[in-house]
Amino acid sequence: MINRREFLATPLAAAAAPAKGKADACIFLWLGGGAAQIDTFDPKRRGDGKKVAGAAYGAIDTAIKNVQVCEHLKQTAPLLDRCAVLRSITHPIVSEHAAAANLVHTGRTPSGTLQYPSIGSVVSHQLGSKTEEVPNYVVMGYPNITRDPGFLGAKFGYVYLTQTEIGPNGLVRPPDVDSTRQDRRETLLASMREGHQNRNAGDAAIQAQGDVSRQAFRLAGPRFMNVFALNRESKTMRESYGGEFGQRCLLARRLVQAGARFVEVSFNLNFLNGSGWDTHNDGQTNQHLLIRDLDKAFATLLLDLEKQKLLETTLVVIATEFGRPPEFDAGGGRGHQSEAFTMVLAGGGIKSGLAVGATDDLSKKVIERPVSIPDFHATIHNALGIDPLKNLYAGDRPVPITDHGKIVQELFA
Amino acid sequence: MVRSLIASLAWSLSAAPAPSLPGGGPIQVEIFEDLAAGKEFDLAAMKSIDRYTEPAFAFIHTPTKFAANAIPLDRSTPFILKAAYQRNYTAGSYTLRLRARGAARLFVDGKLVAQTQAQKPNTSGDDPVPPAVERGNTPLRPAAYPHQDSLAPVQLSDGPHEVVLIAVIGGKGLYPSPGELAVGIRTKDQLVDQLLGPHDAPPLTDAGWEAYSLASARRHAESDKVRRRTVSQEVSALWNARHKSQPAKSAPAIPSAPDGYPVRNAIDNFINVKLAATSAKHTAALNDLEFLRRVTLDTTGLIPTPAEIAAYLKDAPKSRRANAVNRLVDNPSWADHWVSYWQDVLAENPGILKPDLNNTGPFRWWMHQSFSDNIPFDRFVAELVQQEGSATLGGPASFSQATLNDSPPAAKADIVAQAFLGQKLSCSRCHDAPFHPFKQKDLFALAAMLEGKDLKLPATSTVPQGEGGRKPNVVSALKPGESIAPAWPFAKLLEHADSGTLPVAAKSATRNQLASFLISPDNDRFSQVVVNRVWKRYMGVGIVEPADDWSRGRASHPELLVYLAHQFRASGYDLKHVAKLIFASHAYQRKAAGTAADQMSSAKRLFAGPAHRNMTAEQLVDSLHLAAGKPFDCEEMNLNPAGDRSPKQFINLGKPERGWHLTALSNERDRPALALPIAQSIVDVMTNYGWRQSRQSPATKRDDAPSPMQTLILANGVLGTRIARLSDDSAFTGIALGNATVDALIEQTFTRILSRKPNAPELAMYRNLLAPVFAARVVKGAEARSTRRESDGRVSWSNHLSAEATVIRLEEERKLRFGDKPTERLTKDFRERYEDTLWALINSPEFAMVP
Repeated sequence: MINRREFLATPLAAAAAPAKGKADACIFLWLGGGAAQIDTFDPKRRGDGKKVAGAAYGAIDTAIKNVQVCEHLKQTAPLLDRCAVLRSITHPIVSEHAAAANLVHTGRTPSGTLQYPSIGSVVSHQLGSKTEEVPNYVVMGYPNITRDPGFLGAKFGYVYLTQTEIGPNGLVRPPDVDSTRQDRRETLLASMREGHQNRNAGDAAIQAQGDVSRQAFRLAGPRFMNVFALNRESKTMRESYGGEFGQRCLLARRLVQAGARFVEVSFNLNFLNGSGWDTHNDGQTNQHLLIRDLDKAFATLLLDLEKQKLLETTLVVIATEFGRPPEFDAGGGRGHQSEAFTMVLAGGGIKSGLAVGATDDLSKKVIERPVSIPDFHATIHNALGIDPLKNLYAGDRPVPITDHGKIVQELFA
Repeated sequence: MVRSLIASLAWSLSAAPAPSLPGGGPIQVEIFEDLAAGKEFDLAAMKSIDRYTEPAFAFIHTPTKFAANAIPLDRSTPFILKAAYQRNYTAGSYTLRLRARGAARLFVDGKLVAQTQAQKPNTSGDDPVPPAVERGNTPLRPAAYPHQDSLAPVQLSDGPHEVVLIAVIGGKGLYPSPGELAVGIRTKDQLVDQLLGPHDAPPLTDAGWEAYSLASARRHAESDKVRRRTVSQEVSALWNARHKSQPAKSAPAIPSAPDGYPVRNAIDNFINVKLAATSAKHTAALNDLEFLRRVTLDTTGLIPTPAEIAAYLKDAPKSRRANAVNRLVDNPSWADHWVSYWQDVLAENPGILKPDLNNTGPFRWWMHQSFSDNIPFDRFVAELVQQEGSATLGGPASFSQATLNDSPPAAKADIVAQAFLGQKLSCSRCHDAPFHPFKQKDLFALAAMLEGKDLKLPATSTVPQGEGGRKPNVVSALKPGESIAPAWPFAKLLEHADSGTLPVAAKSATRNQLASFLISPDNDRFSQVVVNRVWKRYMGVGIVEPADDWSRGRASHPELLVYLAHQFRASGYDLKHVAKLIFASHAYQRKAAGTAADQMSSAKRLFAGPAHRNMTAEQLVDSLHLAAGKPFDCEEMNLNPAGDRSPKQFINLGKPERGWHLTALSNERDRPALALPIAQSIVDVMTNYGWRQSRQSPATKRDDAPSPMQTLILANGVLGTRIARLSDDSAFTGIALGNATVDALIEQTFTRILSRKPNAPELAMYRNLLAPVFAARVVKGAEARSTRRESDGRVSWSNHLSAEATVIRLEEERKLRFGDKPTERLTKDFRERYEDTLWALINSPEFAMVP
């Protein structure tokens, strides 16, 4: 009878390491506010919107046998065979949005000794740049610390935009500066810069600083900016994606096409129902409009990536900070629930067309195969060919990419 | 002599009631505390805590309450403001307007004439945006939501009458500030109310109110300063006495200066010994203007103004540098520039929105007043670790907080040890440190001293032993749940604290003990760590590196370190004394050479020249605004303008005027209506230049290496556009309109931005650009336009989920990109060329490099 240590030392153990995915880029769709799993990807029996707990909508069949989704995910349902639905996500931060969003983005809670990097920064750090023509890590949403690079440093930070028409902050010229004026500016600046460098010819620091300034303007050139120009897409294409969230998804596809590694797309505009995904009280009333918007954009993105032959190498993630309970609150909406909720993966060469884990008859508790946030991160990293237990370094301190995250093996051959 | 810390003083500025002059004197205001619920207006038997005056019935700021050692204290929740005023009136009909957001009562000659309802705490995020107030034909400043106006028509006879206002300020679930508490008075033939008060009191219009508010802020800041210095005179004297009673130590020997190396003071002797030993050459001396720019940045965090440059050059050459240093260390901005530094080192991390990410309170305010008062540095450290005073108003108690951290005292122990002892305990947070001589028990023993009692080790602060897995590389002798007693863990540095008593004792004995250990005159490490930090700040690299982790490095000039530490201690721990020594040395007054990164090994640190430094993020944004003569004009850092939520969830950090006033915008919820677009435009530049919006852990070195995004955010972003834009409030517009010749214009522009004159090629280049359009540049008859940037004050946390709030903020973001309205007083062609000139100068790498 071999003991465990001997067993682990055998070559058989080596073969147990899972295959990696095929992704070299990630589109991270962020449903800010906490999307109710019972009203989207893990539907259960109907409630009455008041005292009887349950789903707010009916459920429909999907391309995955025995798996249903909310009736408002009509376009996504037949495409679910491209997806893996993780229905048993669980973590303990239920009350605070910022703390929960921070956990889902960084995989850990703040320690006070260092600041952990967001998953976008880790991916950017590990995969490096495909091209100089587009930033590695782009956020369509508001800058906040959950997205920051932490101890990895500013080099692995992101470029952001809050409105697709405005474009990426810092990279778009001010509206009153056309290319003629920009040329004049850059000529004047070049002269100042070169004069400074020439007066300090032996000084390496001054030379280096001038060089960085010179290179920067090359980066924000026309090829780079064209990636952000959505008007280069056909009207039909733009309409098929839908509203602002859809346009952001289209932009994400363009960014990935141009070589970006990690694009976070926030679904944070709360025009449709007031509160976005944080459907307390009467935020619930028009939640179906949000779900339909998500449905249209997500389904279009999957088909678009497939058509562009990018789906196999692009991991698409639908993430949120927590889910919501099956009970309704006094205003007909739902509170927060982090003990059991759903996140979705698609593309990236993962095994798709399956649901992982299960919740009870009201999606209140995980009854099968819980998946922690570190596990969720480990799975994403593995899809991107990144070792989730590899050490990053904060100074001398090794910090594993995930906090003991275990890859969801079912998703890899 | 040891005194009790919490000493509320009943102290009065002016005791006598106002004489009944025709115009009236100032309004007499009293603050009462600890009224029982339901008895807020029963003041007859109560004694006021504070008494002061206001020029009119407008109460925006209230005096800070100070303890005997000047740290800010909380008032009771709620507290009561009573204002009384007597003056002569002409007979007639008047309408009084009581404006308040909480419960208030207005009395005329003892009779109640108007009252407002108590404010209710708000827990909703689903409110609608309050309707925009209809102004109609009146210039009256509308009552900002949720203020109520209660109108009272009164008939007054000829002669004296007394008006008394009693208002409840704050309360459970409310913010402890008056909002826009005011009383107006109007006769039938006046178009708009005047603030009640002397006959020259301002009108209750937007312009009148804003001017009053600005003046009130300055007046209260000044009055707080005077009061806290007066109140703490005795404590200050005790600190002086403590310093004097410490046995004098013999001054370290100063080595003789080797031949051939320049000397301005003793610091150079030490530096030159090593330079001579390695036959290294020192760099060239800075010229006068380079020196002024560098030392002005190092003392005030700002570039010198043209007026400062002119005054400096008028001074005799031999004395101008020393005169400048003496002026600059006493400049009020000395305090601002130090706050930025200690915010990083002490991990000051307030959150304006339900702070739950390792947030502290806003102890920036207490730090600023401490540097402003130039309290001795040992006193600063003692008060910090005693952690008393107001947590909400930014007293040292707010240092003790670390929201959702499994052991705040452990986090603070790490900070204190790095900041003041160069002991980096961070690795001991969760296990015995693998590369440092510290055990986890050391950190927690120190943490227990900060906490004031035994601490239990949280399981979340341990490294789990995997089931059957391999042994972890790091271990700890401690078990989860184990109790650790307070104990000084650094016997190697110092065995015993000195027996001199602290001038002010905290309630907690172990905090007092910790303070005593840290600031003991025998604690050489403390003095050396602090002077090393000061040295690094001005010279670009420390005598010891890393400055926060002395186990990992060696002193490059150990005797110099001892000398400076001695000077520091002998001066009574005066940072200004050490700073002046450094500024006066030849070593400081030389051109920079090399970078800090190249000089991490002690053998490489010769100080042939200071290491290259760029402006810090704060220096950059502050200097840009100063050059353009434009204020930040930024939104208030406050998501609860209505004041109807507890300060535990939402704090008001005020309207930022300097970089250090900003903080993370806390939009983890990613909601457009929670954005503050103007603040974001400033934060965007600062974060690219190494400023941390969230300081969850201590840092001595910023991540600020030159990067393409640094260049681009300034070149294309909203802030850079604002600085270069020739709006009517830009100093550059004034220069453009005023100058007689194009050469004079160019020279003034260079002086303002780069603190120097243009060289010949630069002059030629800009002359080429501007001369063709210079003569005809002025547009006759055009008028100056308002340049205020609007931020809709109705949007708040309470209504941020509404579509209307979202649209308002998205629109503000979009408009902001277009920048300030350009002046119409200059032709478009000239304006654009001159703006491009400004753009090139502020974006040239030279601007942000410290000379």
